[in-house]
Amino acid sequence: MRIRLSRLLIALLAVGVAAPASAQASIGEARRAAGQAYRRSMSEARELYQGRRGPEQADTFSRKVRVGRDGRVSISNISGTITVAVASGDEVSIDAVKRSRGDRGQLSRVNIIVEEHPGRVDVRTEYGRPPFPDRLFRDDYVSVDYTVVVPAGVSLDVSSVSGHIKVDGVRGSIRFGSVSGNITSSNTPKVEYLRTVSGEVALANISQDGSLSISSVSGNIDLTDVRARALDLNTVSGEIRLRDAAVERLTSKGLAGNFEYTGTLARNGRYEVNSHSGSVRFAIADSPGFELNAGSFSGAVRSDFRMTVGGDGTRDIRPRRGPRSESLRASFGDGSALLNVRTFSGSISILRK
Amino acid sequence: MTVNRPDGSAGDLVARCQAGDVDAFAELYQHHAGRIFALTSRMSGSPDAGEDLLQEVFLQAHRKIRGFKGDSTIGTWLYRLAINHCLDFVRSRQARMDKVTNSIDDDMTPPAAGRDTPIERIDLERAIRQLPAGCRAAFVLHDVEGYEHREIAEMLGIAEGTSKSQVFKARLKLRAVLA
Amino acid sequence: MTPAHPEGVTLDDYVDDALTATERAAVEAHLAECADCRELVADLRGVLAAVSTLEPVQPPRTSWTRIEQTIRRGSAERRTPRWPWLAAAAALILATFTGLKLAGVWQQRPASGLTALAPATDAQAVEAELLQAEQHYQNAISGLERIASAEKGSLDPQTASTLEKNLAVVDQAIGESRAALKSQPGSEPAQQSLLENFKTKIALLQDTVALINEMRKGNDASASRLVTGLKQKGT
Repeated sequence: MRIRLSRLLIALLAVGVAAPASAQASIGEARRAAGQAYRRSMSEARELYQGRRGPEQADTFSRKVRVGRDGRVSISNISGTITVAVASGDEVSIDAVKRSRGDRGQLSRVNIIVEEHPGRVDVRTEYGRPPFPDRLFRDDYVSVDYTVVVPAGVSLDVSSVSGHIKVDGVRGSIRFGSVSGNITSSNTPKVEYLRTVSGEVALANISQDGSLSISSVSGNIDLTDVRARALDLNTVSGEIRLRDAAVERLTSKGLAGNFEYTGTLARNGRYEVNSHSGSVRFAIADSPGFELNAGSFSGAVRSDFRMTVGGDGTRDIRPRRGPRSESLRASFGDGSALLNVRTFSGSISILRK
Repeated sequence: MTVNRPDGSAGDLVARCQAGDVDAFAELYQHHAGRIFALTSRMSGSPDAGEDLLQEVFLQAHRKIRGFKGDSTIGTWLYRLAINHCLDFVRSRQARMDKVTNSIDDDMTPPAAGRDTPIERIDLERAIRQLPAGCRAAFVLHDVEGYEHREIAEMLGIAEGTSKSQVFKARLKLRAVLA
Repeated sequence: MTPAHPEGVTLDDYVDDALTATERAAVEAHLAECADCRELVADLRGVLAAVSTLEPVQPPRTSWTRIEQTIRRGSAERRTPRWPWLAAAAALILATFTGLKLAGVWQQRPASGLTALAPATDAQAVEAELLQAEQHYQNAISGLERIASAEKGSLDPQTASTLEKNLAVVDQAIGESRAALKSQPGSEPAQQSLLENFKTKIALLQDTVALINEMRKGNDASASRLVTGLKQKGT
């Protein structure tokens, strides 16, 4: 197994681009670099090994726990799917399937822990420490797929590292977390927090009187039928798409992904959207009025609504030809809602739906 | 220091606010925040939401004060902004509740309701906040702020008869607390 | 014969003086003979009396502070366009130090003046101050970057690759903002974008380091719980 030094250097460079040019390689750094190269080559070995896996082994697990109609449920997994559905009653029923492509010994090293408390149940997957060298291959070798049925009124805390999460019908407050697992939910009005690195996020039927905060690094964020008093979105390269949206207070920070809001503006709402190169697009049904503060270094600004700029008569806002650095302050109607949009190169469009 | 007339329309103060004087705006806040906060916290049913609405109102006021032409007193102008924000709050919350069918907490009093065992000093403010959302808005607008049922019906988007029955319902609940 | 009890809302109207003379007479006739309704009317009057004692409610002190901050930020933008990014740079540097302390990387502050950022009067001075802010930023993140690059092996390759790619995306954005600022030092969008991108990079590095730390402990379950509970973005 050759150490791929070039790949290693590229990796280091990519991270260190903005570091001071005077950084010298020290012995310590060389040692760290070597360690990283070793781990890389081990993970390559694992990838090869996995191609030669054996037949699937499986183990099932089943438990019912009483929590009450508005109890709290938490589920924490590493690899494998989590599916949550609702049923009447006050019981939580947990069904899980452990799967492994190695020997049965692997299965027994993974434990499903269910902790019961009055009004609360915590479910999690635990990996016992395997012996070396298996330790390096431990991760997605054994997966656990959960199917959990809960009373509709419970509040839920679900997290997974790489497995996908799917929730439908839970009406209590919900918090989601994943590293790379996708997160999908529907008929879940009270989602309040979601955080992922690269998982794809698709939430539907949100009706949040409080606030909903969603953060991803590269995962796209797709919300459909979302009503919220406050919505906070944060991503580096994910796309943000809000459809059938009625949000009163919105803050969105993106960098490379596009932002799109289709829906209505609340009469006295406030919308702050920041982007670097991603475009920002509002497609709104008629509105009693809004004030637009749009600023961009090189992105074009346009509006389907005839706007009043600085107290003069109304005019069209269309992209201007030639070099432009836009900084626009205009209003439409009674100017009651506020749109603050800032981009670097992304275009800014306020369209009529 | 300007002389502020009791009806709240200190002409000089407003002019200073319009010129961008933040300290003048702070004075304006001092004069009117109490009344506005009372309205927003009672209408929304929570001091937290009330505080939030208070800030929204004054931020918007700051943004729009240059458009204030003196048709009314500055106090009335602020108050109207506040009423608008409160109505938006109430209406969008109602819209969200309507959307969520079989909502488990349809007419549920807020979590604090458990504490309304009769106490020596009656906390009327708290009792009002604990009213069910539906009748609370109508009650505050009618009995506290003095609007007519006809006006309330328009503001809340309900029938006049509904406004009357909501106010009655609220009075009955408060009667139980004050007894 | 006792007339039927008036409806609740009618008694309400009575108490509110909103009945016609005939209606009022009818209600009063009933009240003369009905103790229950008399009691209800008395109670309704009691509610109104109590309500009339309501007064304005003083909001918490913090309410004004937040309004003031937002307003001052806004006014400053209009009066002296260069001020907000300097204030933002100072805030950014502070946030970075806090973030580094949390990550256990950097225990002490650098010597040079955090607080001494005065509003610039010309383009050169602006650039000089920007350079200073950049240097603070560079020192701050290089510690985080060292950890992130050295320990990335603790993360699974796909996640490590995602984070690296996104750091590169942010670096590219920083490069674009820098170039823009060079060509137009007075451009507010360029200044703001540079600072926003700095903030994004630091936040991404902090999150990467935090994730690595959790993975290193060998417990993947707590990594995902970490993702659920982590709310480090201070701003």
